[in-house]
Amino acid sequence: MPRPGGLVTEMAVAERAEPRVADDTASSEPAGASFLAQVWAVARKDLLLEARSRERVLSMGTFAVLVAVVFSFAVDPSIRARSIAGAMIWVTVLFAGTLGLGRSFALEKEADALTGVLLSPVDRGALFLGKWLANMAIVLAVEALIFPVFALFFTLSFQGSLPALAAVVVLATAGFMALGTLFGAVAAHTRLGETLIPILLLPLLTPVVIFACAATQRLLVGRPVSDVVSQLKMLGAFALIFLFVCTALFGAVVEE
Amino acid sequence: METTTRPESPALARLGPAGMDDSLAGTRRWAAGFGVVGMGLLLWGLWMVFFYAPTEAEMGIVQRIFYVHVPSAWTMFLAFGLVALCSAGYLWLRDPKLDAIAVSAAEIGLLFATLVLLTGPLWARVAWGAWWVWEPRLTLTLLLWFMGVAYFMLRGAAENPERGRRFSAILGIVAAVDIPLIHLSVQWWRSQHPKPVVMRPEGAQADPAILQTLFVCLFAFTFLFLSLLLIRYGMERLQQRVHALRAAPR
Repeated sequence: MPRPGGLVTEMAVAERAEPRVADDTASSEPAGASFLAQVWAVARKDLLLEARSRERVLSMGTFAVLVAVVFSFAVDPSIRARSIAGAMIWVTVLFAGTLGLGRSFALEKEADALTGVLLSPVDRGALFLGKWLANMAIVLAVEALIFPVFALFFTLSFQGSLPALAAVVVLATAGFMALGTLFGAVAAHTRLGETLIPILLLPLLTPVVIFACAATQRLLVGRPVSDVVSQLKMLGAFALIFLFVCTALFGAVVEE
Repeated sequence: METTTRPESPALARLGPAGMDDSLAGTRRWAAGFGVVGMGLLLWGLWMVFFYAPTEAEMGIVQRIFYVHVPSAWTMFLAFGLVALCSAGYLWLRDPKLDAIAVSAAEIGLLFATLVLLTGPLWARVAWGAWWVWEPRLTLTLLLWFMGVAYFMLRGAAENPERGRRFSAILGIVAAVDIPLIHLSVQWWRSQHPKPVVMRPEGAQADPAILQTLFVCLFAFTFLFLSLLLIRYGMERLQQRVHALRAAPR
């Protein structure tokens, strides 16, 4: 386990990269390129912290594998796992993802690092998108573990549908993390903290869950890619809408 | 209008443009007016439900719960719509009055959502033979109820009241975005829930007496909602004043 002190130092080191990027936007409205540079600076900081401690990926991954094991004895052997695997996988992803989201802003709160980030001339939208990008990368890494583990444990095969499956996973995770990053930030500023995240998130995530499960299940039973096009479109639409709304609302979360 | 003789307080000035001058007397008058109209309509509606509307041929007596169920659902949507509207207004203008309307509407919306979820199963047990089925409309309503619960949990758990107001406004907006999405996303499945009988392209299809009764009940619930909303709004404004006075330096 990393020491809290070590974490703070790492954070300070990681943030040293930021002013360089932010300086040229201090006086004017952030232009396209520098906005993206700000997004990348925030994402890079979070990913650097994660790469050094690996605490979120490890805890989420361990949790996900344990859930797969629990499913193996919770589900009656007479039920063919293949017919419910889509639902099992996405429930696991949701719970594992929610578990990791709490850390995203809890870390910033612990050493009051968020104040530092907010004082730097980073656009609030860029801060949100950077956090979103980092959370996306971390959860996608965990999903890259969850899918093979479930495929191994429950003898599933996604062969022939891998590109479509990747599209489903990326689009669903984009929507999931947009809401997750916003409400992760909200929950970090409450007394209940991370306990509140699933309560806020699960009802709001319903559309993502419906389409991700349906598409995954179809690909799993060998239906052609053309059968999941409508689900892919809906997942893409939800990801865009959630990203837009959450980016717009994020400023109201972190203001002092 | 009352003339104010109370000393100016910066804490009260922060409460909004009107501060303490806002006497809430008008709010109370309107609340009482709407309440009287609503109660009158409700009594008339109850008479119609039991003595005027005919018993529906297929479902029998249990159909009469429809006169409570449908107006409750209508009021629930009205309330949550108002929450989203006032939440967006609050984040934009930061007027505590808008927040007070939003939180009052959320509370009443949660009340009517509970009524919908209680009256629905009573009917479903007779008509469908099951208290609950996982059906788009029911699931949607249950989710809306959970969002209402989350709204108050979030509000109560925030580190300070001002944050609570902002956070619950955010949830109010995102929930409003989500509801039509959930509704659309589940429309492709076949629904067991009865189809609309009034708002349909080819015109209303029901006995006129049933429709008249429904409309009286709809108006009764709407007026009662407005009355409850204004009463609760007055309470919320008073509470905001108490908090401001407590927080103010002596």
